[in-house]
Amino acid sequence: MLKLLREVFRTGEATHKYPFAPIKVAKDFRGKPEHDSAQCIACAACTIACPPNAIAMQTDVAAGTRTWSISYGRCIFCGRCEESCPTGAIKLTADFELAVARKEDLTKTAVFTLARCPSCGRSVASAKEVAYVALLLGGAEASAEEAERLRLLVSTCPECKRKHDVEQVMRLDIERQMENR
Amino acid sequence: MNAFTSPDDLVVKPNGLSMSDDVTRMKGLLLKNIKRSAYVYRVDCGGCNGCEIEIFAAITPLFDAERFGIKVVASPRHADILLFTGAVTRAMRMPALRAYEAAPEPKIVVSYGACGCSGGIFHDLYCVWGGTDKIVPVDVYIPGCPPTPPATIYGFAVALGLLDQKLKAETYVEAEGEAVPLAHPAIPYNLRVLLEREARQMAGYRQGRDIVEEFLSLLEADDRTSVEARVGRLIGGETDPRRAEIFSRLQAVFTQALVGGVS
Ligand code: SF4
Ligand code: SF4
Ligand code: SF4
Repeated sequence: MLKLLREVFRTGEATHKYPFAPIKVAKDFRGKPEHDSAQCIACAACTIACPPNAIAMQTDVAAGTRTWSISYGRCIFCGRCEESCPTGAIKLTADFELAVARKEDLTKTAVFTLARCPSCGRSVASAKEVAYVALLLGGAEASAEEAERLRLLVSTCPECKRKHDVEQVMRLDIERQMENR
Repeated sequence: MNAFTSPDDLVVKPNGLSMSDDVTRMKGLLLKNIKRSAYVYRVDCGGCNGCEIEIFAAITPLFDAERFGIKVVASPRHADILLFTGAVTRAMRMPALRAYEAAPEPKIVVSYGACGCSGGIFHDLYCVWGGTDKIVPVDVYIPGCPPTPPATIYGFAVALGLLDQKLKAETYVEAEGEAVPLAHPAIPYNLRVLLEREARQMAGYRQGRDIVEEFLSLLEADDRTSVEARVGRLIGGETDPRRAEIFSRLQAVFTQALVGGVS
């Protein structure tokens, strides 16, 4: 009996004080994915990586917007969105206090504008993504003229790009060059 | 004409189960001044059992949900709170509805885990209904896959009205002229790709990114010593041999790029 009591006192209180005191979570704990929308380029890498489709993208061509959304209720906290994000816009945090009474409160959305193809006016990608890709292709060091050329190149839709290629090839006048050879 | 026009028509809407005003009032009272233990009955609607393990972890001495009077009972007839886990498989729909009917009014329904909230990882399976709220009205959702014991306790505190929910629906709208700058503009993009690729191959995407960020900030540092000396110092101070190895590999990639040029 005394031995048992001694053991009890030696062990002390094992129960965590939570929720009356904050609880320390483990290092690299995967909690609520926090989306820094200002850093997001709406590239949809996370949408494709997300195993349960907790992250979704909706494109509204008429309004010229692309809407990113996450449902914390469906998220399985795997961290693949964080792994795949090229700009580090989405990161898993230590926040686990996600319980809600209204299901709507489990979603976060971010609305981005679409860039239009300079030739046909169709939308291909979000404006931020186009600007980011132009930067990646060397737009950071380029002159203003070169940067504008890059922006045009990146924001042209694949169909117009093909058309422009054909036009360029036609201008080369291949037939005459072949005859001359 | 086919009677079923969309898959939605196959879902039984909880119309028959809608709460009368009386029950709503009683539930409000129960939530407001529950002055006794809250008895919980667990309804497993076909999850992976991860959630069950965490529920039992939450009633171990370490988290001790019983100090708030939360007790797990063996019959729905004793329950105040029904805890639905799992994505509601076809086979479990009727048993779940029977458990719901068997519990005395007023009862609180808690949807537990990603599966319960919306079907989670199983949401598009052919054999699931995709969430507790497809069959019964839900009062509180506890997300997580599975929710950790502290998240469980927080969820119950929200259900019993002891704590307020923190999460709110948010909508962000892109600001005019918003642009994302390139990270590490001082380092050639191709070199950064080489370094990131090496670190991710060695340590995986998540830790690889952390390690390469550390290395890149070292390269960028406004420091008069050579890169070799800086990396040498970093490796010297590193207690984890795996990280030291990765840093030396990154340095090799960097030196190789300097000698051979970055294509
Ligand atoms: S953590 Fe996993 S499940 Fe959650 S949003 Fe990211 S990719 Fe999707
Ligand atoms: S991967 Fe990152 S940048 Fe791309 S849409 Fe997702 S959060 Fe935004
Ligand atoms: S939420 Fe996750 S842990 Fe819980 S039953 Fe579903 S898959 Fe398993």
